[in-house]
Amino acid sequence: MDVVRFYSNIIKRNMDKPEKINKLINFGLTTAYYYVSIFKDKRGPNSLHYLTKYCIKSIKDSLENPQNSAWVNIFSPCEFLIALDIKPLFIEAYSSFMSGFFIEDYLIDTAESRGIANTLCSYHKTFIGANELKILKKPEFMLTTSSICDANVPTFRYLSKKQNVPLYIIDVPYKYSKEAVAYVKNQLIEMVENLEEVFKRKLDLDKLREVVKIENKTRTLINKYLNYLKEKTLLVPMTFEMYMLFASHIFIGSKEMLKFYEMLLDDIKNAPPRSGKSIFFVHLLPIFEKNFQDYFNFSNKFHIAGSDLNFDYLDEIDEKDPFRGIAEKLILNTFNGEMERKVTRIRELIEKIKPDGIIQFCHLGCKQSIGGTFIIKDLATKMGIPFLYLDGDCVDKRNNQVGQNRTRLEAFLEML
Amino acid sequence: MVGYVCKYTPVEIIEAFGEKPVRIESGCKSYERAEALLHTNTCSFVKGVLENIIENNIEEVILTSCCDSIKRLYDVLKERLKFIYILDLPRKKDTFAVDVFYKEIIKFIDAYKAFKNKGFAIENFLKILEDKSSFRKMQEPSESIAILGARLKDDVVEKIKNSCSVNIINFTCTGEDRIFNIESEDNLLKGYAASLLNLTPCMRMAEDRSKFFNKDFKGIIYNTIKFCDYYSYEYAEMKSQFNIPFLKIETDYTDSNSGQILTRIAAFFEATDIKKMEQKKAKKGYFAGIDSGSTSTNVVIIDENKNIISYSIIPTGPKALESAFKAFEIALNNAGIKEKDITSIVATGYGRVSIPFADKMVTEITCHGKGAFFIDNRVRTVIDIGGQDSKVIRLDESGNVIDFVMNDKCSAGTGRFLEVMSRTLGISINEMAKVHAEVKENITITSMCTVFAESEVISLIAQNKDQRDIIHALNKSVASKAVSLVDRIGRKGKYMMTGGVAKNQGVVSAIESKLGEKLVIPAEPQIIGALGAALIAFEGTNG
Ligand code: SF4
Ligand code: SF4
Ligand code: SF4
Repeated sequence: MDVVRFYSNIIKRNMDKPEKINKLINFGLTTAYYYVSIFKDKRGPNSLHYLTKYCIKSIKDSLENPQNSAWVNIFSPCEFLIALDIKPLFIEAYSSFMSGFFIEDYLIDTAESRGIANTLCSYHKTFIGANELKILKKPEFMLTTSSICDANVPTFRYLSKKQNVPLYIIDVPYKYSKEAVAYVKNQLIEMVENLEEVFKRKLDLDKLREVVKIENKTRTLINKYLNYLKEKTLLVPMTFEMYMLFASHIFIGSKEMLKFYEMLLDDIKNAPPRSGKSIFFVHLLPIFEKNFQDYFNFSNKFHIAGSDLNFDYLDEIDEKDPFRGIAEKLILNTFNGEMERKVTRIRELIEKIKPDGIIQFCHLGCKQSIGGTFIIKDLATKMGIPFLYLDGDCVDKRNNQVGQNRTRLEAFLEML
Repeated sequence: MVGYVCKYTPVEIIEAFGEKPVRIESGCKSYERAEALLHTNTCSFVKGVLENIIENNIEEVILTSCCDSIKRLYDVLKERLKFIYILDLPRKKDTFAVDVFYKEIIKFIDAYKAFKNKGFAIENFLKILEDKSSFRKMQEPSESIAILGARLKDDVVEKIKNSCSVNIINFTCTGEDRIFNIESEDNLLKGYAASLLNLTPCMRMAEDRSKFFNKDFKGIIYNTIKFCDYYSYEYAEMKSQFNIPFLKIETDYTDSNSGQILTRIAAFFEATDIKKMEQKKAKKGYFAGIDSGSTSTNVVIIDENKNIISYSIIPTGPKALESAFKAFEIALNNAGIKEKDITSIVATGYGRVSIPFADKMVTEITCHGKGAFFIDNRVRTVIDIGGQDSKVIRLDESGNVIDFVMNDKCSAGTGRFLEVMSRTLGISINEMAKVHAEVKENITITSMCTVFAESEVISLIAQNKDQRDIIHALNKSVASKAVSLVDRIGRKGKYMMTGGVAKNQGVVSAIESKLGEKLVIPAEPQIIGALGAALIAFEGTNG
């Protein structure tokens, strides 16, 4: 995409003018938004079209209205923000978009030059770089959980100090117990008090219950969708699975995301029966990796059977006591706690979806995920499904050894 | 024996069981067995712990839910040990958090009771706590150097303590005085849980640590560990805030690494006057400096008027001492003098500790600074790129070293990098150094890592790219690594480049174009360290 390159060069040339960059990025998002609104990609289903638009708009909205926005990580309980009508900006998504604009390298180098470890996850480095260069307007609030990875607490603490913006850290215990639930519930209450003070509005409990109700409805649809994956396939790009994180995490509980899953369910019901080979992804998909793009985007030979990150919590939340219910959701997330939990969930998903192969793309810097690679490999072996792990980076394209990965990926796909 | 790693471990409980808690260290030669179970990019400390557990057959281990790497270590060990427990350690310390931790401790006691089939006597426990709390010594920050950041191995801490006369306070995971505030006996365990959570918070805790580290220290040594990212944030914040001497080190927890670390710490002490150099009475004669580097051994001899009367450069053989003798002999012959004519010898470089005939050892950092300033006193920044490492040294107006950085333990951007590439290109290193200018295509090598860059070069060759353009790209790559080191301490001219790579015209001009300034290149860039050493030998005896 030469237009994008051209645009990224303009941005890079102006890095010393934060105001201008901010405008350029907003402009890029607006253009992208109108582009996808007008030129619908005919290869993909309606739900893809709807979701893409929603995701771009949500980022645009929070960037353009910093006075009503909060920076969050992907596991933050955004139900409260939705109920309070605050716009979350989730930093992993922002970084991903910056990689889409081809400026992640510049942002990452900036973060590293300030002393941030070069082995840190690039989702975090990119965001920190953007913050260092002041191309992000400061939000009113920041919110992070200590789950799922080590990067969250220190990154947010660093950002909040730099920007002088209040931060709330929700410490999610490793194990489930009644004390752990009480601990998190208390933190959620404290967090809401902080939000109310900063944004000068009161949380309406009924509204929160409504959000949770929609969330529960949405999860029923997610479970239904899962049941179709065994026999049907949608032709989608890898970005779809990643955009879905907006729907399964940050914005779950909103009416729009309920609508998305309704559309998705329609799409999959009407999709052709499964053909070709289907690959299940552990954790993340490398949307900017050339080989993967070539092989998986809109391909009916190899398609994406899903990623466990979109199915990390599949139960109901207690509508009567949403604080407690959400606390439980945070602790019982399959990515939290022992690896055993995650393994169990992946096993369930594999049994349901019956993919032909499993790929774990080991995102450089993601210790929580790569640390378990060999355990997932064992699981795959036990279940008799081919497993491949490849090292690379989902954001920083410089870390992808495209040539080397090609041989391994092709050999794996040939094997299926 | 019960192995543990974290300072929040309830070791007093283990002791009350009559068992011996042992903190697992992680010094080892290779991670072969660990990397069969854990991905290579896991923190090197955790891999070392795993090696250690396997090697020493440790059967009982207690961990905390410290970080992602430790959590995965638990997952890997779970089915492999007789007893393993991971304690859920909260990041906060409010009453709810204390409840969580207290319950965890109780559960641990139950699990251990069941495993050992023995009881837990609360009286023993109380006694142990009282013994530990009875003494506590205060240390004065203004007289101390603080070690902050990631855990530092005990032996390295010991060596640091021995190499200077000031107090060292170790704030890392390995050094905490355990003080317990046990008021009521009726809920001893709960009070204990609360005391543990109230230790000086480590990086992982939610609390902001900056208030714990006041600015009164004489100096700060900040440690980071490869693939542990926690600490870089605090480092990034601190380094711009503090006005006191600050040294960042990166350890990788293998045995091989501690030599380099100690060199840097010694240089830090020298630069900050924390360790005063001993001074002797004046004598006349000749003075020698021996720089025993990893690639070459260089000797310089000066006379009492600081004239260089001879020098030698030879490749360092497998035995550093032999090479040092040889190089010394050559230099003596060149000068036409005998060993007895030499008044004083100073050794520097990696191999300096193994040169018994030297009167004194000084780090190569101080020596390089000294030598460079002597040659050109306008120099404020020395860029030294040798065979296996590179460093950048900042000098003040009087030639004192005030800051420096070294590359991480990796050959990217060093002479070794160029050597590997010349082999890949099938040309000699001299030939490679010659070619420059007239670039047809501006290629960029993206990988910094030698191995990856090599495969990039191979594919460039396959694409039939012009050899000169590839060389130009490689020179740029070395230059950008060097300039990024410079940027870590900030730019300041004039610059002098030393070390073997300074003879490579291509690299020199690539650095010059990045810095936008001409570099000073000494006539013989490889002997600057040895020259500095000789000058120190001279000053030591005449100053
Ligand atoms: S990729 Fe891994 S390290 Fe990066 S934000 Fe996600 S969980 Fe954290
Ligand atoms: S960082 Fe903290 S929790 Fe982790 S081992 Fe060190 S002291 Fe323990
Ligand atoms: S050094 Fe860092 S990554 Fe390694 S165990 Fe300690 S806190 Fe975890």
